[in-house]
Amino acid sequence: MGYGTGILFGAQPSWDARVNYDGTGPVSIDQDAVLMLRVREGDQASFGVLLQRHRRPVFHFLCRMVQNQAVAEELAQEVFLRVYRSRSTYEPTAKFTTWLFRIATRLALNSLRDGKKEKLQDSLEEETPDGTSRQLPDRGRTIEQEMMYQARLREVREAIEELPAKQRAAVLMHKYDDMEYSQIARVLRCSDSAVKSLLFRAYESLRFALAHLV
Amino acid sequence: MECPSKREDSSEVLISYVEGSLSPSAQIAFERHLEACGRCRELTAAQQELWAALDTWAPAELSADFNERLYERIASEESSRPKWAERLTKAGLAWQQAVPVVAACAALMVVFLWRGPGTEPGVYFGEEAVASQGRGPQIEQVESALEDFEMLGQLDFRSVAESALRKKI
Repeated sequence: MGYGTGILFGAQPSWDARVNYDGTGPVSIDQDAVLMLRVREGDQASFGVLLQRHRRPVFHFLCRMVQNQAVAEELAQEVFLRVYRSRSTYEPTAKFTTWLFRIATRLALNSLRDGKKEKLQDSLEEETPDGTSRQLPDRGRTIEQEMMYQARLREVREAIEELPAKQRAAVLMHKYDDMEYSQIARVLRCSDSAVKSLLFRAYESLRFALAHLV
Repeated sequence: MECPSKREDSSEVLISYVEGSLSPSAQIAFERHLEACGRCRELTAAQQELWAALDTWAPAELSADFNERLYERIASEESSRPKWAERLTKAGLAWQQAVPVVAACAALMVVFLWRGPGTEPGVYFGEEAVASQGRGPQIEQVESALEDFEMLGQLDFRSVAESALRKKI
């Protein structure tokens, strides 16, 4: 069981690894952990692969968490910087994405707590950072449809923002990153039942907040 | 099928149905239940609308120079690290591996500094040396400690850690 073919989490089969102890059955390998171990050995190219593979999901998660693109990019950079810094002591004790999102979530929660968030209102009047007027992308909608879309989007973002930070993180990982309850639990360092409780309360709040959009 | 809205885990069934992760048999059972239960139909419709609303939220795109800026930061950090830190990183000396070394050194320090009742630290000559018998560390103890130090220096902590990791996996 070496690094050449992959990492088998036989001792902890509850995520991704479907290992039967009698050696039969399908086996799932965390390729990202393999790449990270290569980074540990000095393989910079493997870090590049991991970056390309995960930078968008991490950024999108952070974007939705802090609702500020500039802050989200800064945090995303910090996530990968910490991954790189930790390369010499990296141990594949969990799925790579669990570790990655754990770092991202912690940074996002700290950022929210420290109040670094500045809401960017996606309005027609707002100027871009370089001073030009914001142009709405052409999505094939009429002006009226676009305004309704923007209003609906604003409602969704505000409803998400109203959620307590941990509920928000759980919803985002569940809805947009397709994470299972067990993986979200590992990211948030809580039990599966605690994650379900977080999610169910969050969805209930969101259903109530967005009921008028139906 | 028992009405999910009456169960504590009603949301789990609801969410699993809306996201399409129920097993085929569970899905059929739930849809059959929906035909008869107005409450569950309401909740399901609300969850489906919520899902559709959340789907409208497309995040912004990453800046084109994201990677470039990241690598610049990495290079800047690497170039400003002190040499000793770089050597430690290259040697892969994690703090977990260093703890037993520190503990062993601390134990040896205790041996060197140990003073029994009435002993004085120092080097004794002639009659004083004879009189100091039993006071302070003995020659044999010092030699033994030095041998232990030599043995520690010959240990390859990296291979010990890798061996432990292979056993763990």
